[in-house]
Amino acid sequence: MARAEPPPATFERRVLRSAAGHHYLRVRLELPDGGARPNAAQLKQLVVAALKELHGEVGAALPVDVLTYEEKTLSAILRVVSSGFVKLWSALTLLGFYQNRRCAFRVLQTSPFLLALSGNSRELVLD
Amino acid sequence: MVRFKNRYVLCQVVAEEPRGRPCIEERAVGSAVKDAIARAYGDYGLACCSLAFTVKYLNAYTGTVLLRCRKDFYRLLCSALPLVRQLESRGLRCPCFLSTLHVGGTIRSCQKFLIQYNRRQLLTLLQNCTNEEERQRIRQSVLSCSLTEEPSHSGEEEEEEDEDDGTETD
Repeated sequence: MARAEPPPATFERRVLRSAAGHHYLRVRLELPDGGARPNAAQLKQLVVAALKELHGEVGAALPVDVLTYEEKTLSAILRVVSSGFVKLWSALTLLGFYQNRRCAFRVLQTSPFLLALSGNSRELVLD
Repeated sequence: MVRFKNRYVLCQVVAEEPRGRPCIEERAVGSAVKDAIARAYGDYGLACCSLAFTVKYLNAYTGTVLLRCRKDFYRLLCSALPLVRQLESRGLRCPCFLSTLHVGGTIRSCQKFLIQYNRRQLLTLLQNCTNEEERQRIRQSVLSCSLTEEPSHSGEEEEEEDEDDGTETD
């Protein structure tokens, strides 16, 4: 009985270096002096101004989005194109002033997947 | 084995009015290019391109400028050159633009290109001459060119060229 042999299984390997198009960052803005807190639009303007200072017009044109922002805790989730991830993080690190007040950006979590930002194992409390 | 590699960018300063000639000096061109890089690429870009940035050669009569930068950042420099709009020196400001002619790895390759380019430019200028008197002057200056060995020259130009862009009545 001749059975048609199934074609031999071919093995194909694909490697995608940077498959994700965007990177997500959870950041918190620290303003040590208690003053007026920025709203979402002012936060975005601050981020773009930081990029412009460090990376010029080309840096300020990076597509950066503020996905969520909580004014109480001053924490936000930013989204940036993967090619501009290093530029954004370096610009946030070197930002020192907001309206002549000392400030600092703390980057809490980054991930190429938004779902990964929903849980933070650093804040996990084990009883 | 490990050495610093540079890129030499040959460009030409083009200004409409001939009165801008004294404006063109090394410091003015260098600072104008650095300002353009700082505006376009910020502090980081300015620092990258300033690593080995100098104006190596400048010819105010033809407006030829040779800039040097590190090989890793020559694209930053080349993309910021069209953003230079004016040159300022000693209080004078003349609007102009820089057009890139050649990018080479050594000064010698840029010099070879410049010699060929100037030869072609002379031919074009001869054809575009409007009156006979300028034609005669160009012919005379080309015929009187000779290869001279000058010990004081650094070897930048191997043949003497006379510049005539048809607008000067010198």
